[in-house]
Amino acid sequence: MVGSAGNELRIGVDIGGTFTDLMMVGPSGQVEIGKVLTTPDPSRGVEEVLGQTLDRSGYSGASVRHLVHGTTLVTNAIIERKGARTALLTTTGFRDSIEIGREHRYELYDLNLELPRPLIPRHLRFDVPERTLTDGTQAIELGDDYVARLVRELAGAGVEAVAICFLHSFTNAESEERAREVVKGEAPEMRVSLSSEVVPEIGEFERASTTIANVYVQPLVEDYLHGLRRRLERIGFEGHLFVMLSSGGVATLDTCVRFPIRLLESGPAAGALAAAAVGTAMGRDSLLSFDMGGTTAKLSVVDGGEPLVTHDFEVDRRYRFKKGSGLPVRVPVIEMIEIGAGGGSIARVDSLGLLKVGPDSAGADPGPVCYSRGGNSPTVTDADLVLGYLDPDYFLGGAMKLDVAAAEASIAGSIGDRLGMSVPEAAWGVHQVVNEAMANAARVHVVERGKNPRALPVVAFGGAGPVHGYGVAELLGSTELVLPYGAGVTSAMGLLVAPLAFDFVRSHYGRLDELDWAAVNGIFEEMERDGTNLLVESGAGTDEIAHTRTADIRYVGQGHEIRVPIPDGTLTVGQRRTIYEEFDRVYRSLYGREGPPVGLEALTWRVVSRGPRPMPIGTDREDVTGDAETARKGERPAYFPSAGGFVTTPVYDRYRLGSGSTMAGPAIIEERESTAIIGPGGLVRVDDRLNVVVTLGGGK
Amino acid sequence: MSTRTRLDPVLIEVLWSRVLSVVNEQQVALQRTAFSTIVRETQDLACGVFDTNGWMMAQSVTGTPGHINAMATGVRHFLKEYPPGSLGPGDVLLTNDPWMTAGQINDITVLTPVFKNGIEVAYFANTCHAADIGGRILSAEAREVYEEGLRIPIMKLYDRGAINQDLISIVRANVRTPDETVGDLYAQTSCNDVGARALLSFMDEFDLDSIDPLSHEIITRSEEAMRSSIREIPNGVHEHETWSDGFEEPILIKAKVTIEDEDILIDFAGSSPESVRGINVVFNYTHAYASFAMKAAISPDVPHNDGAFRPVHVSAPPGSILNCLDPAPVASRHIIGHFLPGVVFGALAEALPDRLMAPGSDPIWISIWRGRPRRSDDRFTFSLFQCGGAGARASKDGLNTTGFPSGVAGVPAESVETLTSMVQHRRELRTDSGGAGKYRGGLGQWTEMSCRTDEAWTVSAMVDRISYPPEGLLGGGYGGAGEFRIDGTEEAQPKRLLMLDPDSRVQLNLPGGGGYGDPFTRDPEAVLWDVIEGYVSVEAARRDYGVVVEYLGAEDQLVRLPEHYRLDAEATEILRTS
Repeated sequence: MVGSAGNELRIGVDIGGTFTDLMMVGPSGQVEIGKVLTTPDPSRGVEEVLGQTLDRSGYSGASVRHLVHGTTLVTNAIIERKGARTALLTTTGFRDSIEIGREHRYELYDLNLELPRPLIPRHLRFDVPERTLTDGTQAIELGDDYVARLVRELAGAGVEAVAICFLHSFTNAESEERAREVVKGEAPEMRVSLSSEVVPEIGEFERASTTIANVYVQPLVEDYLHGLRRRLERIGFEGHLFVMLSSGGVATLDTCVRFPIRLLESGPAAGALAAAAVGTAMGRDSLLSFDMGGTTAKLSVVDGGEPLVTHDFEVDRRYRFKKGSGLPVRVPVIEMIEIGAGGGSIARVDSLGLLKVGPDSAGADPGPVCYSRGGNSPTVTDADLVLGYLDPDYFLGGAMKLDVAAAEASIAGSIGDRLGMSVPEAAWGVHQVVNEAMANAARVHVVERGKNPRALPVVAFGGAGPVHGYGVAELLGSTELVLPYGAGVTSAMGLLVAPLAFDFVRSHYGRLDELDWAAVNGIFEEMERDGTNLLVESGAGTDEIAHTRTADIRYVGQGHEIRVPIPDGTLTVGQRRTIYEEFDRVYRSLYGREGPPVGLEALTWRVVSRGPRPMPIGTDREDVTGDAETARKGERPAYFPSAGGFVTTPVYDRYRLGSGSTMAGPAIIEERESTAIIGPGGLVRVDDRLNVVVTLGGGK
Repeated sequence: MSTRTRLDPVLIEVLWSRVLSVVNEQQVALQRTAFSTIVRETQDLACGVFDTNGWMMAQSVTGTPGHINAMATGVRHFLKEYPPGSLGPGDVLLTNDPWMTAGQINDITVLTPVFKNGIEVAYFANTCHAADIGGRILSAEAREVYEEGLRIPIMKLYDRGAINQDLISIVRANVRTPDETVGDLYAQTSCNDVGARALLSFMDEFDLDSIDPLSHEIITRSEEAMRSSIREIPNGVHEHETWSDGFEEPILIKAKVTIEDEDILIDFAGSSPESVRGINVVFNYTHAYASFAMKAAISPDVPHNDGAFRPVHVSAPPGSILNCLDPAPVASRHIIGHFLPGVVFGALAEALPDRLMAPGSDPIWISIWRGRPRRSDDRFTFSLFQCGGAGARASKDGLNTTGFPSGVAGVPAESVETLTSMVQHRRELRTDSGGAGKYRGGLGQWTEMSCRTDEAWTVSAMVDRISYPPEGLLGGGYGGAGEFRIDGTEEAQPKRLLMLDPDSRVQLNLPGGGGYGDPFTRDPEAVLWDVIEGYVSVEAARRDYGVVVEYLGAEDQLVRLPEHYRLDAEATEILRTS
């Protein structure tokens, strides 16, 4: 996106399960926020919230220069199996690769476990005559006539989309490309995705699974995005429409329609980006993003100002939080670990007589016991209420009354009585166990990335994030907790800080000592040319474009590749040393010691092409003034064991805490969508962007 | 959080979940730094943390029961050799002695003591399958363990931080894959270090001088939970037997399971005597799979630690196939060991009718391939892991091509072909291989291999259930028998090392799982869907399920949709009632 010099608006719209959130940034950096209920056709909600916000602030549709959109459409379409009627064409003998999968039980002891159901039933998966070998030679040429006949029958059977995944197509894509020509020749309307284009990486199961998912959701995504554009044009919008990718970049509609699978996790990705942006503005370029909602908590590591990205992802997990239980999708995704810990997570005593929380959740309906909507299992929110952390009369700004007595009774009945603990002790146990679960997940994740959890500030948001952020930060030994302004629209804000960006990947195997550098240079040039073209088409100037190169490299014969930065420009044998040194550096930071004296081999080469970063979101919040004294709206007892149990705790109104305000914990800071809990020992300061910044007492 | 006089249920949970995260860190480090394909792609490994008594406190999330449980008992052997007080910081032990740990000379266990203020506070251990350990290429052919490779008694891999260079040199000189085998030893050591670091920082944080009290709590509570599950099963004695193809002759596996209040006795007396070939099982391994079966059957949710073994008492006569004596050959012990859960479930089927699983293909098929690509001196040795169908469950069909009881994963064809000069021609579900039943057994797979080479290549295939397919449970039918063919001809003795012609094609067709319950009670609509999907043929639907399905489409039609099939309800009714 181009830096906004003139009189233009930038807008981010994020569609969540319940709300559609909008954040608008005006020419002088002023911020407007909009929120409507998500509609069955989500583009209607977008039109509605946009129209409202523009009207309210006196702008027209024409004054919007950029609109960035985040959506869970793709994930939902896969989970609900609402995609196109799709067929799979594979190399003879391999039509079952997506069902045979990894042949592995992701859970050892459960005799009743289930594997994910492939998106394409077996009767729509077809062998076609074709064989490409590992070195790219074609042992059997594509049987054109057979494919043509098959496609005629498929078209007649109402099949709308075809995924093509041949063995070793990441080395030689000719057969796949030829097959597409044949398909298009017979059925011009048929949508086709080639595995060599969607994800040119080794591994027939994951590659087929990703390619299928891509074409499966394509019609839906195309209809939706084109419909959205029409709606926006109706209200006078003439600017650039971008969509958030799972990788944290944004792309144009055309690109998204070609590779819709890259939109997979776009909403949650935006949350992590927002946390990264908050950190960058504060001068913290490494941090832990902590997003806790009603059913799950999502954690991601930000390093060098950017969330880490992974290429291994699974959608529609049968065991929600268990790796291996979902459909693998290999696209760049902001790396998030999701655990079954949210406000609605249910607490119980297990067969060992220990207190467990989640992953079962009461969700929003029936919800926690205190919602009085029929929920009868105690949840994290019930515990937080009993502990005095939530105000029964100011939940969602007072929109919903909470029943404290019912929460207490439920905690006593299900937990306290069984463990011989008082109600506050049991509630504190729930709070502590769920914090511990999140902190453990975070710790393993952070350590896996070669980072020290104590050194990372925690940026907490989402409905329950600010309630638990302090406890999680304390358990991690972190010294700083940041609670950004507007916990309820953080994702929408993240949409506005994403650069226009796109990822490219090519497989080319070789030992570093005998690598064909000319071939590698060719690969990089091609990827960077594609990147430049896409970015220019989307409105970036050529001088604003940057490419970042990496390669997946490992010790010869070792299983796990690590991502190593690769120098720019034309590579020569002379740069081998640099690559070796970079590898050693990354390896050491991940595993804490040198590897064995063995050569290196490279498998995959990657480029991220980025346009300019958008202007930071303005700091201009003149509407919020005041200090801790004027913002203090009352007090209530809240439970802090380190302070001796229930103590009278001051309550502050976030909307009246101007920059420069300070206070010491224990304290409670309320805003409409969330409540921040500051434990005893925490020192609070409100910075000039109205972030609540808490300094913790140097860990525990 | 400093002074604590008692461990309340909240604190135990907090500490316990931290210990679990520590072993998961250990496992992640192992998988990421391991060299052999076996560790990283098939997850043939185990990681765990032990208290100072040598009791397993926690294990990591994946792995395979044969490793986890055998490692758990193996740690006691380590501590017998090096009792507390005899080790110091920087010491690391290892062994691959089959009788000490996982029953196979390829499985190397590395144990690292952890010290806090100079005092031993815990042990981290892990077991991985080495790519090669010398001797014969992994097979069942040996007649004594000495032929199976380099045996390393319990000894130091590191002595006060210095690597045992003599040992490394001996290993390198004895194995076909020195870089991989030794590289994995480094990985096994550093993953224990990762675990140890995490444990120490956790102990500092909670101001703990010992993890033994926590370990005691967890183990005792797990044991108690396990016992209370056993109390729900009526007392009784149940027996079951099954057959493995064996090597030169079939092997009988016989189990007697006794439920006695809150203890379970599993006795394998009556099973075949030791084999002269390498399919013998050391007692550690027998114990591992038998106790795994009980836990999966009665309390899968109880955490897996020493406490989960305590109520389960396993016995097998010394000198029998399930308690073989040194120097019996043992390299392919998993072939017999993987049958044990199925036998135990068979015995308990009547006592626990609504929870169990029919026998499946059981032993994972491991084949070791060796050859030389054209125009290259770089020979390859490659271990291929393949899974057949799992048995049907009491309320669900069996899983297609999924290992049970082992938790190892298969290998993508593109990996096989990139790492070797072999070509895989087929990897497809085997129609009609799932045992018929109210719930159908999982399907096996058809696979076929060739090699781009100009000279002879070899395969050593540890395959089973060719003569003895998986039986069904409670009226369910047999799963499809396995097939091992060279150029279409059934190989009479598939377990020996086979020399292959350069242009040979080898077919490995894996067994399907057994069915559960009477197939004539299977929902005809489910049978119809099986036919549409090609899991069950029209003929087998009629023959095995009494369900008449008609194909209405044209004979030469490639696309056969659900609407091209018709369920003949009337004919089905007649078939099923006659």
